[in-house]
Amino acid sequence: MTAPIATRPPTTNGGQLWWWLPRLSILLFLAAIITLFWYLERSDREEKHATLISDMLWLEQNLRFLLHHNEDLFGRFDPQRIGQRETFQAHVAPVIASNSGVIQVLWLAPSGERLDAYPPVSSAPSTETAVAQAGVQRLAGSVAHAVYGPPYPVGGDWRFEVHVPIFHAGELAGIVVGVYSISRLLADGVPWWIAERYQIAIADPSGQSLGQRSNITEIDTDNAYQMPFDPPGHGLILHAISYRSATPMAGRVIIAGLTFLAALVLFSLWTLRRHVQGRLAAESALQNEVAFRKAMEDSVQTGLRARNLDGMITYVNPAFCRMVGYSAGELIGRRPPMPYWAEEYLDETRAMHEKVLAGQAPSEGFEIKLKRRNGEIFDALIIEAPLIDSQGRHTGWMGSVVDITERKRVAELARQQEERLQASARLITMGEMASSLAHELNQPLAAISSYATGCRNLIAAGAPQNEIDGAIAKCQEQAQRAGRIIRRIYEFVQRQEPKNESCDIGLLINDLIMLLDGDARRQRVRIQREIAPDLPVWQADRILLGQAILNLMKNGIDAMAQTEEAARVLTVRAASFAGQVLISVADRGCGIGAETAAQLFEPFYTTKQEGLGMGLKICRSVVEAHHGRLWFETNPAGGTIFHIALPCPTT
Amino acid sequence: MPDDMTSGMAYLVDDDAAIRDALPWLLRSRGIACRAWASAEAFLADYRDEMSGCLILDLRMAGMTGSELFERLLERGCAMPVIFLTGHGDVPLAVNALKRGAFDFIEKPFNDNELADRVHEALQYEKNRRRQDGMKAAVLERLATLTERERQVMEHILAGKLNKVIADELSIAMRTVEVHRAHIFEKMGVRSAVELAQRLSLLGPPGSR
Repeated sequence: MTAPIATRPPTTNGGQLWWWLPRLSILLFLAAIITLFWYLERSDREEKHATLISDMLWLEQNLRFLLHHNEDLFGRFDPQRIGQRETFQAHVAPVIASNSGVIQVLWLAPSGERLDAYPPVSSAPSTETAVAQAGVQRLAGSVAHAVYGPPYPVGGDWRFEVHVPIFHAGELAGIVVGVYSISRLLADGVPWWIAERYQIAIADPSGQSLGQRSNITEIDTDNAYQMPFDPPGHGLILHAISYRSATPMAGRVIIAGLTFLAALVLFSLWTLRRHVQGRLAAESALQNEVAFRKAMEDSVQTGLRARNLDGMITYVNPAFCRMVGYSAGELIGRRPPMPYWAEEYLDETRAMHEKVLAGQAPSEGFEIKLKRRNGEIFDALIIEAPLIDSQGRHTGWMGSVVDITERKRVAELARQQEERLQASARLITMGEMASSLAHELNQPLAAISSYATGCRNLIAAGAPQNEIDGAIAKCQEQAQRAGRIIRRIYEFVQRQEPKNESCDIGLLINDLIMLLDGDARRQRVRIQREIAPDLPVWQADRILLGQAILNLMKNGIDAMAQTEEAARVLTVRAASFAGQVLISVADRGCGIGAETAAQLFEPFYTTKQEGLGMGLKICRSVVEAHHGRLWFETNPAGGTIFHIALPCPTT
Repeated sequence: MPDDMTSGMAYLVDDDAAIRDALPWLLRSRGIACRAWASAEAFLADYRDEMSGCLILDLRMAGMTGSELFERLLERGCAMPVIFLTGHGDVPLAVNALKRGAFDFIEKPFNDNELADRVHEALQYEKNRRRQDGMKAAVLERLATLTERERQVMEHILAGKLNKVIADELSIAMRTVEVHRAHIFEKMGVRSAVELAQRLSLLGPPGSR
């Protein structure tokens, strides 16, 4: 039961590691995921770029190959044959038709004069281009191989030319000019699978696009490549931009899945952390609670004792240990009979124990006598409650044990005090009753006497009869009133009929002496008691008998007012003697004179200033009601001895 | 009993209705007028200094007792004679009241005319007291008219000294003493030194005035 109090792990390095390791690993994990994404993305880009470059290289080669092939074709023209108009066309048409990028072929004389063209030229070229072309022709003639001219625009399209000199027998026979349309070249020279992936453009050095081939406008400007387009040269640039390709579905799914999983991991970590925090909070709350309860159990004055269903002690608190004087180690694990059971009350204790185990203990608790280690018997109030564990199973009984010895003693004292108070109150009421009744009786008597005297006065003065009549009627009224008062005295006396209860004379006298203690001390009187130990207990009215004895004792104390202090001793004796119990109250007072002795028991006879003269009369009545006798004799030591003889109960 | 007819008023305080009815009836049969109150408190509320007569107080009453009422009246300077009515066992209280200056106490139930007789005596006493009071007041009034010198001379006359001796002691002429003496006798309304001494004895022993 006494669970060791777990303390929270101190925040050491280990604790810190424990704290930051999961956080760090989360961060690392996230970094790794992000890096992986980034890396995949990058390698993907690089791959794309590499593909782009290789594609471009291939394309450039392809275009160059196309241009060279065309050069070859033109170079191998037979000047004889192309000089003829009809054969020229037959020569040239297949070239144009064969997706060579060439849209027109001219045949120039060595002088530069245009001899023929297919398709036929509709308009003269603009002067600037003409000048440029002339330069090209001269160059071609002089270098004796194909020369490309600069690009020039023709109605929204850009064109360039290739001038191929034709030699015949070592002489420049003429120049074949192939006119390329850039857009046509792109259309012919860029295969479909490249056009699908990239936007291919040709630009001049200033970056102006001279023609392009594209299917889609959505382009990925991040992935672009350009390279010199030579031939035709003149600073032309072949430019490619890849289209934004849709990421493949699988990749997306994987990324989405990874993201989702990462989120899931994070979420589960977060919930785990919350859970752990909750657990920690609950744990620390539990620790506090346990500490609090432990402190409570240890500090209470109430003894606590738990037993399992077999009656074995499983737990005791310090207060219980203090109460019975055994240590917890000596008690825990013990089975009945317990060391603190009192052998004298073993049967009752065991019966109660069985009752508790059977669940029949009174819920308001029960009183029982237990024994301390030092053999002292004490009264305990035990309240048993079932012990229910966290699963709701009944595992035993928890009893709170309160030492009520002191409480009982106090209660007993209070009861005695109360009894004494009542006794004296009753004594006072009797005295007061008698006194007030006497006073009350005086009123009608005084009235009657007054009326009667008045009547006599009036009769003597010769007054008319009717005046006297009223007074006499009032006399009768007052006489009846007096009668009613006397009836009340009878009723009161009847109410004082002795009750029969068991009464221990020894105890009674002790109580009375305590009651008179204050009076006696005030009047410097010592009370000696000589009470036989074996006095019988018998049926009597404790209060009435007590009053009688008390009255005698009071009289004794009062009688010694004139006695010298050293001799003021009141002796109270009680002993059984010849089938009677004899109670004597002896004072060392002034004694009782012969003429007083004769009237002593008369009602309303008193030797005291405040006396009513009822005391001894009442005493005698009380004693006689108990079939006893009250008399007095002179004390040989001086003073008076009053005796009460009561017949012993016939058992 | 013709002397009864001259009597004054009796004031009765008793909490018992029968007594309040019977006692005045008895007193009236002897020619003594009587007013009754049911409690000490009620009487105190009605008490006036000019009341004159005899007080009859019941010693035992609910609320303020007769002896308490007596104390209150003494505090208020009441000088009327007081007769206490007592029951059995109240004797010590009654004795105490007598020591405090009560006129008498009568035990209930009463004997014939004992109470009425005592009331009558008390009224006589009261009458005398009031007459004496009146005389006292007259003497005091006359005394107040004396001059300082006349007072001195009067003291000497009361000491029984002769005119000559008085003149020597006061260092005045014998003739002057004679003039003073004549004035004193005239003012005090007496004819001789003996009469003067009698008058002044009403005021109690010398030094109290």
